[in-house]
Amino acid sequence: MSHLLDRLNFFQSKELDTFANGHGQTTRENRDWEDTYRNRWRHDKIVRSTHGVNCTGSCSWKIYVKSGIVTWETQQTDYPRTRPDLPNHEPRGCARGASYSWYLYSANRVKNPLVRGRLMKTWRRMRATMSPIQAWTALQNDPILRGEYVKTRGKGGFVRATWDEATEIVAAANAYTVKTYGPDRVFGFSPIPAMSMISYAAGSRYLSLLGGVCMSFYDWYCDLPPASPMTWGEQTDVPESADWYNAGYLLLWGSNVPQTRTPDAHFYTEARYRGTKSAVICPDYSEAAKFGDVWLNVKQGTDAALAMAFGHVILREFHLDRQAPYFEEYCRKYSDFPMLVKLEEKDGKLIPGRFLRADDLDGKLGEETNPEWKTVAWDSKAGGLVSPNGAIGYRWGEQGEWNLEEKAAGTDTNLLMSLVLDEDHDEVAGVDFPYFGGAATEAFTTGDTRPDVLTRNIPVKQIKTANGTIKVATVFDLFCANYGLDRGLGGDWVTSNYDEDMPGTPAWAEKITGVSADKIVHVAREFAQNAEKTNGKSMVIIGAAMNHWYHMDMNYRGVINMLVMCGCVGQSGGGWAHYVGQEKLRPQTGWQPLAFALDWARPPRHMNSTSAWYAHTDQWRYETLTASEILSPTAPEGDWDINIIDYNIRAERMGWLPSAPQLKTNPLEVAKAAKAAGKEIPAYVAEQLKSGELEMSCEDPDAPENWPRNLFVWRSNLLGSSGKGHEYFLKHLLGTDHGVMGKDLGEEGAQLPKEAKWHDEGPRGKLDLLVTIDFRMSTTAVYSDIVLPTASWYEKNDLNTSDMHPFIHPLQAAVDPAYESKSDWEIFKAIAKKVQEVAPEILGKETDIVALPILHDTPGEIAQDQVKDWKKGECDLIPGKTAPNYIAVERDYTAIYDRFVALGPLMDKIGNGGKGISWNTEHEVQHLRELNGEWEDGPAKGCPKIVTDIDATEVVLMLAPETNGEVAVKAWAALSNATGRDHTHLALPKEDEKIRFRDIAAQPRKIISSPTWSGLESEKVCYNAGYTNVHELIPWRTLTGRQQLYQDHLWMLAFGEGFMSYRPPVDLKTITKEVVDDGDSLVLNFITPHQKWGIHSTYSDNLLMLTLNRGGPVIWISENDAKKGGIVDNDWVELYNTNGALTARAVVSQRMKDGTTFMYHAQEKIVNTPGSEKTGNRGGIHNSVTRATLKPTHMIGGYAQQSYGFNYYGTVGSNRDEFVVVRKMRKVDWLDQPASQKEAAE
Amino acid sequence: MDRTLKALSLILSYPTAELQAAMPEIGGVLASDTRLTAAARRALRPLVDSLGSDDIYDLQERYVMLFDRSRTLSLNLFEHVHGESRDRGGAMVSLLETYREAGIEPATSELPDHLPVLLEFLSTRPFVEVQDTLADAAHIFEALNARLVRRESPYCAVFAALLQLSGAEANQEAVAELLDQPETDPEDLEALDAVWEESEVLFGPDPNAGCPQVRDMLARMDEPTNPKPGLAAE
Repeated sequence: MSHLLDRLNFFQSKELDTFANGHGQTTRENRDWEDTYRNRWRHDKIVRSTHGVNCTGSCSWKIYVKSGIVTWETQQTDYPRTRPDLPNHEPRGCARGASYSWYLYSANRVKNPLVRGRLMKTWRRMRATMSPIQAWTALQNDPILRGEYVKTRGKGGFVRATWDEATEIVAAANAYTVKTYGPDRVFGFSPIPAMSMISYAAGSRYLSLLGGVCMSFYDWYCDLPPASPMTWGEQTDVPESADWYNAGYLLLWGSNVPQTRTPDAHFYTEARYRGTKSAVICPDYSEAAKFGDVWLNVKQGTDAALAMAFGHVILREFHLDRQAPYFEEYCRKYSDFPMLVKLEEKDGKLIPGRFLRADDLDGKLGEETNPEWKTVAWDSKAGGLVSPNGAIGYRWGEQGEWNLEEKAAGTDTNLLMSLVLDEDHDEVAGVDFPYFGGAATEAFTTGDTRPDVLTRNIPVKQIKTANGTIKVATVFDLFCANYGLDRGLGGDWVTSNYDEDMPGTPAWAEKITGVSADKIVHVAREFAQNAEKTNGKSMVIIGAAMNHWYHMDMNYRGVINMLVMCGCVGQSGGGWAHYVGQEKLRPQTGWQPLAFALDWARPPRHMNSTSAWYAHTDQWRYETLTASEILSPTAPEGDWDINIIDYNIRAERMGWLPSAPQLKTNPLEVAKAAKAAGKEIPAYVAEQLKSGELEMSCEDPDAPENWPRNLFVWRSNLLGSSGKGHEYFLKHLLGTDHGVMGKDLGEEGAQLPKEAKWHDEGPRGKLDLLVTIDFRMSTTAVYSDIVLPTASWYEKNDLNTSDMHPFIHPLQAAVDPAYESKSDWEIFKAIAKKVQEVAPEILGKETDIVALPILHDTPGEIAQDQVKDWKKGECDLIPGKTAPNYIAVERDYTAIYDRFVALGPLMDKIGNGGKGISWNTEHEVQHLRELNGEWEDGPAKGCPKIVTDIDATEVVLMLAPETNGEVAVKAWAALSNATGRDHTHLALPKEDEKIRFRDIAAQPRKIISSPTWSGLESEKVCYNAGYTNVHELIPWRTLTGRQQLYQDHLWMLAFGEGFMSYRPPVDLKTITKEVVDDGDSLVLNFITPHQKWGIHSTYSDNLLMLTLNRGGPVIWISENDAKKGGIVDNDWVELYNTNGALTARAVVSQRMKDGTTFMYHAQEKIVNTPGSEKTGNRGGIHNSVTRATLKPTHMIGGYAQQSYGFNYYGTVGSNRDEFVVVRKMRKVDWLDQPASQKEAAE
Repeated sequence: MDRTLKALSLILSYPTAELQAAMPEIGGVLASDTRLTAAARRALRPLVDSLGSDDIYDLQERYVMLFDRSRTLSLNLFEHVHGESRDRGGAMVSLLETYREAGIEPATSELPDHLPVLLEFLSTRPFVEVQDTLADAAHIFEALNARLVRRESPYCAVFAALLQLSGAEANQEAVAELLDQPETDPEDLEALDAVWEESEVLFGPDPNAGCPQVRDMLARMDEPTNPKPGLAAE
């Protein structure tokens, strides 16, 4: 007899309940009188929180709560005041954030842990007789059972599970994978820690304790501008939005501030009231265009040509015909313009080669430490060659001369920027520059028939070296020639006439960009004039639109060149304002130990996602771009004719890029074998790799041993938003229905890779388990095997920072997590606990081997001044020098939870640090023991506790210089040792300041200045990047120590990017004869800007936002293109190419430039998306028609600033060079039958 | 306790093995309540049988797909009344107060407006009050019934039964408005197009009339909330 009918499931009687040990009294008297107050104050409390979404907003909101339910939110208005004469930060917020309380109780919310029904059924059946590990093993060893759930991914079929059961499956899968294939087959993808850093850290801490792989995001999103690390040795550092107000001239270039930086846009408006002039550059008539005093509607993808013409005018008028004193001084001190470049001979012609180094000279200029890393310039004071302070060779192995004082070997210098005067050069020589303007494809061609090599005259000095006499020139002289400027030295391909159609001139740029030459001259002149009058207060606000092209570096370096020429970088109100992705994790060095479990073991496993997804979703198997299409005609001799993936494999082999997985053999087994052989691990691995006994996984991505097996996705919508090559993910990684229509290299009969092993059949369904942790049923969740419900942003405690303002902001639990959800911190704790329970069956204390690439900001970054591949016999395999380092790491799978919740002993033993400096942390660890309590026994005895999410925030705040003044002083002192200059004055006034979680809950707090960042927080200046470089003379972390506008790595030269130039978009060849249906003729460039009615995919399924737009996916096209395609506004259209297809409504608008179509990035395919006629599947997302294509120059490593760093350098996922066929849909099919019925019907 | 309402609460809850075992008894309760017509009781049979005998995983997948995943079939009643508007929080608070006034405290992770929660609450209340409350939600029951009928789901019978118990006629206008939502009828493309069609913007002669699109949208968002028990918006 069941009592189910007679008992209450959802209620308990209040009268039956006693509470507070009888101190509480249950009463039944009338309490209507209270309603007066209730109605007057319709909330019980107000809690400060924000929205942990990648929008750079970090806006303060008041969350109103009544009876444990969020009733609404309003904007907070209590930011700390700014100084007089600067507008305050508020109001911050936008329509998207204001609609958030809806998400909490949305019907789209994930309420319970969900497991794919077919998986659950088998699991429970097996668990009846087996242990969790045995059950997962049996399931994976049975291809039919595995295939049953793998093939149904994305087709519904979820059942609810308890937390206990769901975490048990995850734990068993992880433990099995660690044991069977290795811990580096467990991947985790989560982006943008800054938006909720504890939630990020929860997963990455778990993965790092396990030995799993944390995947990068900034490069994968293509928000990382590789030009920044190339030029500055810095991932990205930008002015806060308040600094816009200080600018005299604002150039908005491909950035739609009112639409995508909504909470900051008020500073843009206020600056204009102050009299700031603004030019807006974008192809479409965007919301920002309306703000501009002038709008330059450049043709999409040709920005570099425009930048070049701007530079041409600025150089002519401010550096050559007249030398603006401020510009001249700035460039001499802060750029590589004075550095000398060797002119190398190739086929009897001269090409710009490597920087001249002290090592090249007899006597090495007296430099004993790292002479091959010390660049050389001509000192006009002493009249000779010097090695100026600040080059990277001064950074490592010695102290005191790594600074930007105008000195060399202790003597004052005055470096010569140009050898143009007769007395300064020995001869004028013709030097070859590559020219790519003639390589434009059909949509971009201007009928340019110039040769691909242009020879220009350069003033040259002859220098005696150890290897005879060589010719050298300054960067500045080469740079001016590259811009096509005639300097009276004769020769071809230069001009002094703006109206001449010569590469670099405004007239030339007009042809390519469609912007009239007079406007180009006008804007360039005003930009530079303002900078000259204000000492650099000209600023460029720049966005993803410029960075998402294959040749993004050309666009960005073109802009950076302008800023450096005009002395704007590092000056208040000036500089490079790249706002793409909430990349600024302000308390970074405090957060890293928590996030990557550096307190227990070092190093963690980091992977650059672009290369990983390229390999593991098999996008490389369909590569259409060949190296020869992008190689420079001036490339040095070399084995360049290889596939793109081959370049990546070489980069991994030489220790440039990371690998995941790392070795084909389980690293736990390799460690055992090394021990058995009685050998040191690095030596053993090196020997086995050389003999071929061990193989790197990258050489055979399709072998089952090298597949990623488990994938966690949290705080992310990988498949619905950022996953370039969406259909390839579905086909190969997930193994479910997909829309790929192209053929692979084997089927095409194209050139197969030389380094990567080719399998005729590409594997399908590499992942054993896909786990998504989200609060809403996103596209990624729909494709997952397990979906875990997480707390939303008003239901957890966390930290949030942004590059747009200098405050550290909390997320707070205004209410308990709704339904069965838990915070990410609690979820990963629960998984760790389960692993600790189930893993000991097969795993104990193990030695793992972590392959570590050569890292930026470490002494190793000066590993390879020459490119040599050990596998080709060009050098020996020396781990950490010519190959990845192989480091033994001890793991304890029986104590993974105990370690998770304790701050481990390495903080006391090794200390902490970042960006090349380090300091001890004993004091802070002791503070944490006192604050959080310490473990009294167990494996973490004596360690501070990190049990709750608030405990975790305190760890970050205590360890970070930005939030603990004492640490800031230590950090500046450490940097002072390296530079030989005292910087501690920047933090001493705040030494006693310690920001706690409850402090920021009371009010957002301004962070303390720290050497992690190049800007200052003070009452005198707004945060501006490069400020301490310019004003404290701290070198940029580059080869030359200066802003480096010339790149001399062999691969940079080979691909023709020593200097910036215009490179047209590449041809991805995705509109093939086979794929295009008869009659479809409208082919458009596919552009994916950020939208107005969502932040990426978040909010895009929110009814309020859907109502404001068209209620589902849309694309934008121009009136002319619509007419050509027979399309009228609101028609359903289909977009396709060989990568796949998508469906959307058409918005026909005068805003659009002919030849392009916009599809706002990340509109979910779970909302109002019909089936595609082309693929028969549900119309895809914007990434259904894209495929990632890598660029070899982004793989460079072991070379000063061009060394790997997580989210710092590496391949990026560009996607704007793509073209699509657009056609009106004949029939709209909503595919509203369950998948099984559909299959049955077929 | 009103065992019929309790039974309806149970069969609208996530199917579990325990529920499956109790189905004969639950079926018995539903079959013997004469407040329901013979036809209504017969109509409940397929659901009762299915819950009692089908594979539990199939039942659970079906439940998740219908009630967890389909927004238009949400069992959280305020989804259909307030949707995304900020009134929803207030309405839930007021419903919570109603439960507490009756001397019981929710002890579940479900929100107060979850239909099984409400039904269990009503099972402890006098039938007159029950009918009042159910009548307030009649238009939702009718709409959910219609949508489930369209999907050929046996769950439709529960809503038909609730409608009958309420003794009320659903306000047809309100029902029509709910059923008019585009995603509920994806096959009717004409209707869908009509919803998506933007209204024409007219300038003058009365400039103060404002933008018709905005006005319409604001009017839709501005629908007043009902005070206690806060179920239906008239």
